[in-house]
Amino acid sequence: MVSPVLLIAVPLGLAFLVPLISLVSRRAAMLVPVVACLFNLVVAITLMPGVLDQPVVEKIGGFPPPFCINLYAGPVGVLFAALIALAGLGIAVYAMAYIRTGPVDRYHLLYLLLLVGATGVVLTGDVFNLFVFFEILCISSYALVAYMGNKSGLEASVKYLIQGAVGSGLLLMGIGLLYGQFGTLNMADIANRMGSVNQVSVFVPLALIISGLGVEAAIFPLNAWLPDAHSSAPSSISAILSGIAIEVGLYAMVRMIFTVFGATSILMFMVFLGALTLLLGELCAFAQSNVKRMLAYSSIGQIGLILFALAMATSYSVAGGLFQLLSHTLSKALLFLAAGYMIYRSGSMEISSLHGMGKRMPLTSLAFTIGAFSLVGLPPFVGFPSKFLIVRAALARQQSIFTILLGFVLLGTLIEGAYFFRVVQAIYFKKGSGETGRSYAPAVALVSMFIFAALIIFVGIYPQPVADAVGSAATELLDRAEYVRSVLQ
Amino acid sequence: MRIFLSLVVLAVIAVGIGKTLMEIPFGEDTTNVGGYYIQSGRDDTGAANIVTSVVVGYRAFDTLGEVTVLFVAAVGLGAVLAVGSASGRRRDVEPASLVLYTGCRFLFPLILLFGAYIFIHGHLTPGGGFQGGAIVASAFLLVYLGCRGRRIRHGWSKATESLGGLVFVGLGLLGLTAAGHFFLSNYLPKGTVNHLFSAGIIPIIYVAIGFKVGAELAGVIDDLVEESE
Repeated sequence: MVSPVLLIAVPLGLAFLVPLISLVSRRAAMLVPVVACLFNLVVAITLMPGVLDQPVVEKIGGFPPPFCINLYAGPVGVLFAALIALAGLGIAVYAMAYIRTGPVDRYHLLYLLLLVGATGVVLTGDVFNLFVFFEILCISSYALVAYMGNKSGLEASVKYLIQGAVGSGLLLMGIGLLYGQFGTLNMADIANRMGSVNQVSVFVPLALIISGLGVEAAIFPLNAWLPDAHSSAPSSISAILSGIAIEVGLYAMVRMIFTVFGATSILMFMVFLGALTLLLGELCAFAQSNVKRMLAYSSIGQIGLILFALAMATSYSVAGGLFQLLSHTLSKALLFLAAGYMIYRSGSMEISSLHGMGKRMPLTSLAFTIGAFSLVGLPPFVGFPSKFLIVRAALARQQSIFTILLGFVLLGTLIEGAYFFRVVQAIYFKKGSGETGRSYAPAVALVSMFIFAALIIFVGIYPQPVADAVGSAATELLDRAEYVRSVLQ
Repeated sequence: MRIFLSLVVLAVIAVGIGKTLMEIPFGEDTTNVGGYYIQSGRDDTGAANIVTSVVVGYRAFDTLGEVTVLFVAAVGLGAVLAVGSASGRRRDVEPASLVLYTGCRFLFPLILLFGAYIFIHGHLTPGGGFQGGAIVASAFLLVYLGCRGRRIRHGWSKATESLGGLVFVGLGLLGLTAAGHFFLSNYLPKGTVNHLFSAGIIPIIYVAIGFKVGAELAGVIDDLVEESE
């Protein structure tokens, strides 16, 4: 039996090994994240069939649950861990070619620790432990945003750091108030005692925790840091921040709402917030002329869509939301990676400088187009089944308010289609002014892009295995009693 | 208007937090998990210091996470500063006075000894790896202030940092193979409470943390000194 703790401990051990490796060879450090992600991917896939039947509760230190920290490896946790390892692997391969300047060994070390933090957040079953891993995730991303050392990167990083630190502070206050009232930090134990206290006094920690996590999850109006941070970071880091970091923040928020608090009363508010975040994100993205800022705003829109689906809290809609999350991770990572080399070659982030790229960099342009079409939700790419599930789930609620909100969501998708087609048009159908010679991205980077592209097409054509996995993940998220029972039995 | 609005929002938050704090029974013996730790911490982990039995026993996984947070912060600071000052400029500094210099040289080993005492006895007396490590780092800070121009060797501090972390993770992983099959389970003999060699893996972890935190904070001081010159 493979233990889920390996998903955290082995990459962490490898991360501690990096400084020793880089004493021998600085370049060798770049292989470590690749090895760690491969290992995690294998472990997560091995664990998957087992946890679909029965979640694994790993007691760390061997004490019985409310007294120890436990990991909860259910379908949600293992699915996320697999996704983090998969996206992490693709982006780590890309970064081997893309990151050439600066303290390279430290880049790869921080990148690996970011993934460790994300994996820890999705697997833990303890609120304070969640905070600790969340901090690992956040602090490594602050440093990575500033990696280029230019003025805009440092400014974005400081902005991100200040807002993120305030968010973490709110989260910690919320956790402290919870501990004061319940005398325990175990998620299942808190959920179990939730009914025994005055509901008004639980609302304040709930509000603090949601606003704290909302900063990292980039929910409107807490997302002012995101466009700067995602556009000034190196492209590989933009990809991991957009593809993994904000999703993990959203996961933590949803886990708190569904499992720990069981707060069904605020779900309607979250549905509205999701639709609003979606519309504002897409509208801002439409107005951008800088391709990376456009992608960053589009991430806000997508997070809004995912939140909209998750907060509807039916098994269909949560499955749709998780599916959309997966498809956003793959598509947005691919978009940032492809945009990275197009920007590198053209020397500017303006959309107008991408004119004629379809001729100059045919493969990278193709990858970008696949990512864009998938994000918009065209068949046969992965974005289609996921958006379709969400639409079906919203209609199945059979309430006019959801139908109206769905109208706004579809409007958001239309806007999304408009600005992505504009870029694709610029790439293929506008004549470039400068050089016209062919140039390719390095082979390693192309391999990584085509792994993502192949996955997008493959899952788009055969969505069934993924749909089954997100289906049981949705059941886990919604079934609070089962979560409590399996931890505290 | 804006000030007024912010004041209103602040007031609402303050009232909310205040009301919640009123619900919390401070000073009463109601916390269920805490009560268990006080009752059986000593028997479960073999550590005479109950705080340590929680920090490195029941919640050792959090401690591993916190060690990592410090590691991330130190590496991140190093990365940002390394990019910021690519040129290895060094300015000659005026040496400190003889009294300061001699005093620092006299105090340095004593502070190291005290730091080591704090982290080695973490499972018996108040203190532990983080506190001991911070004291060790303060010895290095003193050297930077009093004996200017002296530097720690980066290779050594990095290697110590790495090894400290590796020992912690490695001990945890060994727990998966040892009796009990749990990560970070205390599989070594617990010995007699209040003896130096007791509490199984706890003192080993604290020594590893002490070295790691000491090396890490000394490295941070070194990075910052370099930057300010």
